Amino acid sequence: MEMMNELLEKYFRGETSLPEEKELKHYFSNGNVVPEHEIYRPLFEVFELELNDKATSPLLNVIPKQRKIKQIWIKTFAFTGIAASLVLLMWVQLPPTTDNYAVINGTRIDNQEFVQRYAQKKMNYVNAMLKDGLKPMQRMKVVNHTLQPLNVIKETHDKMIEIEKTHIINN
Amino acid sequence: MESTQFNTQILNLSDKLFRLAKSILRNGDAAQDAVQELTMKLWEKRHQLDEVDNIPAFTMRSMRNLCLDTIRQNRDEDDLPVEFENIEPNPHQQTELRDLATRIRSMIDNLPELQRTIIRMRDVEEMEISEIAYVTSITENAVSVNLSRARQKIRDQILNEQKRVEETIWK
Repeated sequence: MEMMNELLEKYFRGETSLPEEKELKHYFSNGNVVPEHEIYRPLFEVFELELNDKATSPLLNVIPKQRKIKQIWIKTFAFTGIAASLVLLMWVQLPPTTDNYAVINGTRIDNQEFVQRYAQKKMNYVNAMLKDGLKPMQRMKVVNHTLQPLNVIKETHDKMIEIEKTHIINN
Repeated sequence: MESTQFNTQILNLSDKLFRLAKSILRNGDAAQDAVQELTMKLWEKRHQLDEVDNIPAFTMRSMRNLCLDTIRQNRDEDDLPVEFENIEPNPHQQTELRDLATRIRSMIDNLPELQRTIIRMRDVEEMEISEIAYVTSITENAVSVNLSRARQKIRDQILNEQKRVEETIWK
């Protein structure tokens, strides 16, 4: 009791350490308080009671709001990405279009018969151009034919040399 | 500071911050608002918190400063309604220990702001004198002096209360 008296006086002077104050709290909470000290029991009880005083609404309501906004953005980006991937995948895997058309001089032409006739006409034109282009070659053929007498001259020349050789031998 | 660290270090202090705010403002709703406001401010500046050595002490100090600002603002407008119970002594209730505890809470609430903040930080939150000095921005010696005065005032009021009860009984 003497020790507790001293400790209490020290406490009210504001000179006790935290372990000494814990000892006092323990003394007043264990039920073996001497009658002289009983008057101070509610004081130490109040300190324990006040520890049960807690925030009425949890602070978690504040921060997750921001986290939710962040999550919404993440989800938006994710879904946009997925949607874009799906569109791309469908586009790549789509069967080739059955629409047949041709573009002539920058104009889309859907009339298949017209396009075929146009193509035929162009092919004919190309053929004609090719024929004209080959004409010089034919001229070369003519030249070759025209030059055939020159070959006769060469043959005659060769025969003359042969005759001359024969003449020399005979002599 | 990442959100996980923020949750661990700041949100875990919510009850402690609430008790401090309630002790200063003496109003539960205003205390809750103050804690929410502080949490939002700290969340916005969470990246600067990495430079803080003692997060709990820094947060408590910020909480006290915010509450003092609230009191200053309300002084010009309407004063914050004080919620603490100032129950007049009732002869029947005075014999009950629980009622004396309520009276003691009221006695603490009636102390000057600095003294009630210091006594609660020490006796309820069990904070070191150096931490209390940091939170209240005064010297450790000034903390001890204010703690001693606060405890002595409470003791005097408890003894007076006891004396009055005894007088009422013997009348």
